[in-house]
Amino acid sequence: MTVSNTVDQYTVLSGDRSKIKDLLCNRLTECGWRDEVRLLCRTILLEKGTGNSFTVEQLITEVTPKARTLVPDAVKKELLMKIRTILTENESEIEDAEEP
Amino acid sequence: MPTTPSAQGSGNQNTATSQQIVNNFRELIKDPKSLDEAVNYMYQTLLDDAVAGIFIETHHLRKTGNLSALDGVAEDSTYRICEMPNLDIFGISTAKKPMDCTCPNCDRLVAAARFAPHLEKCMGMGRISSRIASRRLATKEGSSAALLHSGGNAGGTDDEDDVDWSSDKRKKKSSQSSRNNGSKKNNGKTF
Repeated sequence: MTVSNTVDQYTVLSGDRSKIKDLLCNRLTECGWRDEVRLLCRTILLEKGTGNSFTVEQLITEVTPKARTLVPDAVKKELLMKIRTILTENESEIEDAEEP
Repeated sequence: MPTTPSAQGSGNQNTATSQQIVNNFRELIKDPKSLDEAVNYMYQTLLDDAVAGIFIETHHLRKTGNLSALDGVAEDSTYRICEMPNLDIFGISTAKKPMDCTCPNCDRLVAAARFAPHLEKCMGMGRISSRIASRRLATKEGSSAALLHSGGNAGGTDDEDDVDWSSDKRKKKSSQSSRNNGSKKNNGKTF
C-alpha cells in the first residue's frame, strides 16, 4: 500500500475529499487563481493557432506546472494546514470512537 | 436466488477492506513524515484536479466556438470611452467654449443666444428697434433732445446697453460691484 493509494481511498471513504476539494476551489476562485489560469489557457490556445491538432493533454502538460506556481503562498499554506487538520481530526475521531 | 450470497459476500468484503483502509490510514498518520507526504499529496492531487477542470472548461468553450465569442469583436478606437481628466467620455474638453458671434454690423462680440435679437435691433429692423425710434425722433424733433434722454432706453444709452449683450457675465458683475464699492466709498467720504 503506497501513501497515495491509502490517502486516496481513505479520503474518498470518509467524504473528506469532497470537503477539501470544495474548500480548495473556493479559495482559488476567491484569490483569482482560476481567472489567471483561464487566461493562461486562452493565451496558449491563441498562440498555438486555430489548428485542431492541439489536444487537452498537451495543454495540461504545458500549463499545469505554471498553474502550480501561480497559487499564492498564503492560500497554499492555508490549504496545507486545513488538509492536515482535517486528516488528523479524523484520526482523533477514530480513536475516540474506539476508546469506549 | 444465486445472487444473494455473492452480494452478501462482496458486502462483507467491502466492510473488511474499508476497515483495512482505515487501519492503514491510521498507521500512516502516526508518522509525521508520512503525514506531511500525505498532506502534500492531497494538495497536489486536488490542485491538479482543479487545473484539469479549467482545461476541460476551456477546451469545451473552444470546441463549441464560445471562446472566440467571449473574446468578442475588437472595439473601434473612435468609440472607446475616454477616461482622461477634464474630458468627457468622447474625449472632448468639458471646458465651456466661448459661444460668441461677431455682429457684422457693429463688429461687437455678442452671445450666440442673443445674437438674433441684437442683430434685429442693431440693423434697425422691427417695430421696437430703439435705433429707428431714436433716428425718427432725432430727425423730426431735433429740438427735444432733453426729452429723449429723460425717456431712458432711447438715444445715447443704446450703445451702453449693447455691452450687456455679450456673454461675459463676470464683467457685468465686476462692474456692478465696482459701482457699489464706489457708492460705498462715496458714502464713506460724505459721512
